[in-house]
Amino acid sequence: MPYHEFECSKCIPERKKHAVIKGPGEDLTSALPLGYLNTIPGSISERGCAYCGAKHVIGTPMKDVIHMSHGPVGCTYDTWQTKRYISDNDNFQLKYTYATDMKEKHVIFGAEKLLKQNIIEAFKAFPDKKRMTLYQTCASALIGDDINAIAQEVMEEMPDVDIFVCNSPGFGGPSQSGGHHKINIAWINQKVGNVEPKITSDYVINYVGEYNIQGDQEVMQDYFKRMGIQVLSTFTGNGSYDDLRAMHRAHLNVLECARSAEYICNELRVRYGTPRLDIDGFGFEPMSASLRKIGLFFGIEDRAQAIIDEETARWKPELDWYKERLQGKKVCLWPGGSKLWHWAHVLHEEMGVEVVSVYSKFGHQGDFEKGISRCEEGALAIDDPNELEGLEAMEMLKPDIIFTGKRPGEVAKKIRVPYLNAHAYHNGPWKGYEGWVRFARDIYNAIYSPIHQLAFVDISKDEIPTTTGFVTQKMLSDANLSEDVTSSSLMREYTGKYDVISQLRGKTYPQIPPAAKQLSAV
Amino acid sequence: MEDMMKDRTEQLVDYIMKKCLWQFHSRSWDREKQNEGILTKTMQLLCDEPVDIGNPTDKVHWVDAVCLADAFKSRYPWLLTMDKAEIKLLMQGLKDRMDYLTITGSLNAELTDPHY
Repeated sequence: MPYHEFECSKCIPERKKHAVIKGPGEDLTSALPLGYLNTIPGSISERGCAYCGAKHVIGTPMKDVIHMSHGPVGCTYDTWQTKRYISDNDNFQLKYTYATDMKEKHVIFGAEKLLKQNIIEAFKAFPDKKRMTLYQTCASALIGDDINAIAQEVMEEMPDVDIFVCNSPGFGGPSQSGGHHKINIAWINQKVGNVEPKITSDYVINYVGEYNIQGDQEVMQDYFKRMGIQVLSTFTGNGSYDDLRAMHRAHLNVLECARSAEYICNELRVRYGTPRLDIDGFGFEPMSASLRKIGLFFGIEDRAQAIIDEETARWKPELDWYKERLQGKKVCLWPGGSKLWHWAHVLHEEMGVEVVSVYSKFGHQGDFEKGISRCEEGALAIDDPNELEGLEAMEMLKPDIIFTGKRPGEVAKKIRVPYLNAHAYHNGPWKGYEGWVRFARDIYNAIYSPIHQLAFVDISKDEIPTTTGFVTQKMLSDANLSEDVTSSSLMREYTGKYDVISQLRGKTYPQIPPAAKQLSAV
Repeated sequence: MEDMMKDRTEQLVDYIMKKCLWQFHSRSWDREKQNEGILTKTMQLLCDEPVDIGNPTDKVHWVDAVCLADAFKSRYPWLLTMDKAEIKLLMQGLKDRMDYLTITGSLNAELTDPHY
């Protein structure tokens, strides 16, 4: 087994089985790290907790809901206006955050009364909101507050409201992934099947494991609508609470982030017979294959092909411009759970970069199977890395850029490695054809930023060159490119707009009524 | 001949591992159904045999099989030189190899978890 032992972790020998290097001839039966296990004591993990995974990742992107945490205000305060899962209802779920503000006295005397008071106050403060998600935290779980009972009491007293209870305290799993699991199962157990939707198309999907980061969901929804597909619900980005109660009526579950949402797809398949189709919404080829598969399923492949042709013709010349300038750049792909496999191969193939490492704080072994399969030989895969291991890996691999979260990203900057925010993006959306070009542009801007070049100068010891004049990104990126490339009329820089989402919100689509309606009209 | 078959099988495995996701469902029983359903239908498509798409599961397997068969035909011109018996042999070898890599030889400890 090609385990990799970090120098900094020799004092924690258990860590050795959490990192592997994919060597020549290695396959998944010989190169796979351990994963989704409790963090080893002594390793300063960068993971989130199970409450975070349930609420901040999956629950809160629901847009028309009061999201209430039953616990100390600190559990939720740090998320106030920090997330980037936007919505088309003026970002209600980002603007307001709610906690019951448990304090020491509540730990001693109980906080159920406080909870009920908070729920009622919140509904009264936002009278147009009739739906709530309610989250257990470590503090309220440890004292045994019965939040289900309180939710039931309120629903009996206020019959027009509906409350979803998520019992996923922070300690309820090794990482945020434990919370993903709990909220998936809780949602299907409590809510799916409670609402009958209006079906407006012969082609009805749930779009699952999509969180509308900077508008990703709205980009994909545009493609689906152009194909005449009804997106019954999105789990959960820009998703509506009541739409998600009707998930049982879809014909197909289109699954994007299997790490966070495969559980509900599997259960929908078992309980309702709805098939699961895993797709890749990132990159031109995977995006095209995904649209084609959905089109094939419904017998409308021609509609998918029309979108593929139109979008590829519009955006491919711009992707190619960046590919020429990113060739051979080394990337550490250190995102959450799914992007390490969504991006690994297609970054290499469509942008020309070399993925030298993949890591995940909360991914399972299944994610590493996908990620390692899609990496080239020599890639270092790390499960639940600590900060020192991340630093050691960067010293060893010398990446040109890393894609990761903002905490490890800021650490990378300190050793002069630029980073892009893989969770929340820089200038997203990054999904879809145009989105993939925007990602390429962000990578280009990060690697070739002139200010980043200046960061390599250590003013405490290096001599500051006075002969070097003004430089631009293009002067840096084009220095070693051939004339054929730099003067090509076939390739161009990104020409899209700053905001690509607003225009989608007012867009109208051709109405294609269900076949039954057409027949009855005849 | 055996070496050539093995080499060709590995090319197909490499394509699936890099481009597909269907082989990595989270439990062993799902992986068995996925490998069986999609690779059998891919073989049928490559051999011009009828494919059953009578229920939603068959249909979603067929969707992946259509894309896989098209990709195999366009990327591996040697496939077009093989007769149907050879293709069936090749696809059986592919199925066996995929079962080994993703199920029987897999190091993924979660595959046998009885719950989703």
